Amino acid sequence: MTRGNDTDQGLLSHVLLPVANEEDALATARALEPYHPDRVTALHVVEKGEGVPDKTPVEQSESLAADSYAAVQSVFPDADEHTAYARDIVAAIFDAADEVDASAIAYQSRGGNRLVQFLSGDLSIKLVTNASVPVIALPREGSSE
Amino acid sequence: MSDEELAKDLGLVSAMTIGIGTMIGAGIFVLPGVAVNADGGAGPIVVVSFLVGGVIAMVNALSVSELGTAMPKAGGGYYYINKSLGPMFGSIAGMGDWMGLAFASAFYSIGFGQYLAVFVDLPTIPGLNAIQVGALVAGSIFIGVNYVGAKETGGVQTVIVTLLLSILAIFSVAGFFSFDYATLAGNEGGLAPGGYGAILPGTALVFVSFLGYAKIATVAEELKNPGRNLPIAIIGSVGIVTVIYAILVTTMLGVVPWPELSQDAPVAQAARVAFPESIGPITGVAGGAAAVMTVGALLATASSANASILASARINFAMGRDKIVTNWLNEIHPNYATPYRSILVTGGLIVVFIALLGQDIEILSKAASVLHLIVYALMNVGLIVFREADTPEYDPDFTVPLYPITPILGAVLSLGLVAFMDGIEIALSAAFVVAAVAWYFLYARDKTDQQGVLSEYIRSREDDLPDQVVDATDAVAPTGTGTEGPTIMVAVSNPRTESALITLAGALAEHEGGRVLATHIVTVPDQTSLETAAENRTGLDKSSEELLAAAAEDAAAFDAPIETKTILSHRGIEEVFDAAQTNDADTVVMGYGGTRFAGGRVEGSLDELTHDLPCDFLVLDGQDLELSDVLVPTAGGPSSDLSAEVARALRDTLGTDVSLLHVVDPDEREEGEAFLAEWAGGHGLSDADLRIETGDVEEAIRLLGADHSLVIVGATERGLLSRIVRGSLAFDTIEHLDTPVLLAERPSSRSLLERLFGGR
Repeated sequence: MTRGNDTDQGLLSHVLLPVANEEDALATARALEPYHPDRVTALHVVEKGEGVPDKTPVEQSESLAADSYAAVQSVFPDADEHTAYARDIVAAIFDAADEVDASAIAYQSRGGNRLVQFLSGDLSIKLVTNASVPVIALPREGSSE
Repeated sequence: MSDEELAKDLGLVSAMTIGIGTMIGAGIFVLPGVAVNADGGAGPIVVVSFLVGGVIAMVNALSVSELGTAMPKAGGGYYYINKSLGPMFGSIAGMGDWMGLAFASAFYSIGFGQYLAVFVDLPTIPGLNAIQVGALVAGSIFIGVNYVGAKETGGVQTVIVTLLLSILAIFSVAGFFSFDYATLAGNEGGLAPGGYGAILPGTALVFVSFLGYAKIATVAEELKNPGRNLPIAIIGSVGIVTVIYAILVTTMLGVVPWPELSQDAPVAQAARVAFPESIGPITGVAGGAAAVMTVGALLATASSANASILASARINFAMGRDKIVTNWLNEIHPNYATPYRSILVTGGLIVVFIALLGQDIEILSKAASVLHLIVYALMNVGLIVFREADTPEYDPDFTVPLYPITPILGAVLSLGLVAFMDGIEIALSAAFVVAAVAWYFLYARDKTDQQGVLSEYIRSREDDLPDQVVDATDAVAPTGTGTEGPTIMVAVSNPRTESALITLAGALAEHEGGRVLATHIVTVPDQTSLETAAENRTGLDKSSEELLAAAAEDAAAFDAPIETKTILSHRGIEEVFDAAQTNDADTVVMGYGGTRFAGGRVEGSLDELTHDLPCDFLVLDGQDLELSDVLVPTAGGPSSDLSAEVARALRDTLGTDVSLLHVVDPDEREEGEAFLAEWAGGHGLSDADLRIETGDVEEAIRLLGADHSLVIVGATERGLLSRIVRGSLAFDTIEHLDTPVLLAERPSSRSLLERLFGGR
């Protein structure tokens, strides 16, 4: 137990929490809450076209980021905010983890069937295969499947 | 790099790609056949029509560039017009831009369908021809791609445009060799069989080929170095496509005699003729070239439609931001991160337009043009308004040459071209304009809080302009206040009274859901210029900062936002009036001492000023406010309405007990009681303690006031404030009462007659 606690503390000493929108942010933060991380940094990656117009206007993307942070902060009031702009979201998450010196990345798969995952570019696989820090897959609420 | 920098990732090439990619699809691949054969045959003169279209687009492109560099904001044309001409014209522009894009997308989809029909045998459905079916399929795919927001489509755009330009270059080279002047000019009627009068109707038809440069402006906020790249991309893309159109249309008409040019897939047809049947051992070159052109056409129309659907979502977003449409429309999809509702609604419109009007491509293209031209015309007017109103925030990096000729020309040419459209498109567009105005009055007017620079300009010159103009401005002005309630401006002048004034203002603001604006007006002697004062303000800043910081702290007790401002001025109380007006204050709270610093100077104009209050005024005589109970003497009238409002705010936010006092002659006690009870009920103060006294008013106030912590006196006669300021009124109640007194004066609206003849 003691040994486990030590590891836990190290792992959760600074968790980077990538969030996509308000709902996702709230669900992810709530899923992380029971594990009592020491420090949390909420990350929102604004998806950029890099050469083509974005899907959403910058102003809208940024208000989405702000809403997401507010949702995380409703669970972790001291959570830091970090916004990244990139076309490659997973790379941006790793960069952010380096930048804020995170001990782990915690995320929650957004679910959906394979088609939706494909179309929305579900990032689970890329995230877990290429990470430079431990990646924590948080359980989905009410999921027993 | 700041966040703002990081969000900008579109370089010059990408920006130009957006413009060229949107424009080139339509002009070259779809319209030449239709245009040369329009109205019984316009003939090769349509090349001039394209050039004229290019000139009109260029004039407007200059204006768009100026507006875009001044305001690199999502929304483009709609945004500029809403900012300059106000939300009514904003609604027209937003609706025009949006519907224009939907029409244009429907047009591009039909173009796509026409070329698709070259490859595939499309089925017909009752009521829809084969091309419409193809267009519906294509339109649905474009909408689906945008709905899912597959970002891969975006990267392809640059490739598509590069590919297109190469294909067209090869075509023009091949066309050059098989070009025959006799083919171009040798048909019946020569170069202009329909006469030169066919030029402008031709321009009206093909102008849709130039809709696209303005889309660069809708993504201006994503551009790197927009001050430089935006004008180059906009003007450059218009220039490039105009040249391409002129060359390619001429080539096509020199390859295929115009009466024979296909109305559905002209480029494929011309390629078949222009390319030799075989080069050396390779046969089927012509057919292959035609196939490549067809693929090019499919790519071109697809990229145009794609860009238009994306741009319409930007316009929806900008309109939602200004509350002209509900923000429901701009909700982002949780998985795809796209504004999916906006895309679906626009998509629905596109599908409807294809199904209902797709039989006649001219209607779609012209309707798109008319709506865009209306927006361009308004945009030019907006540019002039920005320049003339001399808005300080308006600081474009690029300015149009030859102002004001360029924007005037832009507006005139845009509207002039509309005149060459047919009745049906004009009627359709007019219907949308009427719908937009109706929408504004029925829905948006109560919601939006955006006021145009134009109406501010008119209001600020209310006295110099005819009343009709001012009235008309008021008649269409937005009534929505958005999230902002009234502005309670506090003129704090010294630390002793600051707290009391802020407490009053804070209670009022919280009660009315408004905000507090704390101003410190620093009077600078006439001998010192304001600039010098500003430079030497270190000491001043400190005291001003401390005062305003204390104000902010006191205001924190209330649930109302506070802003603070230091104002340097040569004038004292007049500046309070000015500041109240420029900041749109609804109520001014100031100290009695503050009114004194006028010191009798410029008495005449001051008299005028105080007779014509810009808003409600509350003047406090006293320093320490306890606010456990207030006394409100009343005899009715607008200013006592204000007293009642203040009392109500204090009661509701601070739990202050309210007593009402009405002084009557001894024999009218009963009437007095009835009056006071009714007055209390009518002002939401029926729980107040009602006091009826007889005798001298001031004596009664003095006696009762001593038992209360504040007396709120409504100015029963007009100009009470002015008389206090000038010190001509020895107001015993104030001078001799230890209890703080709050004087309330509400301007009563004066009729025009009174204004003119000075009736006071």
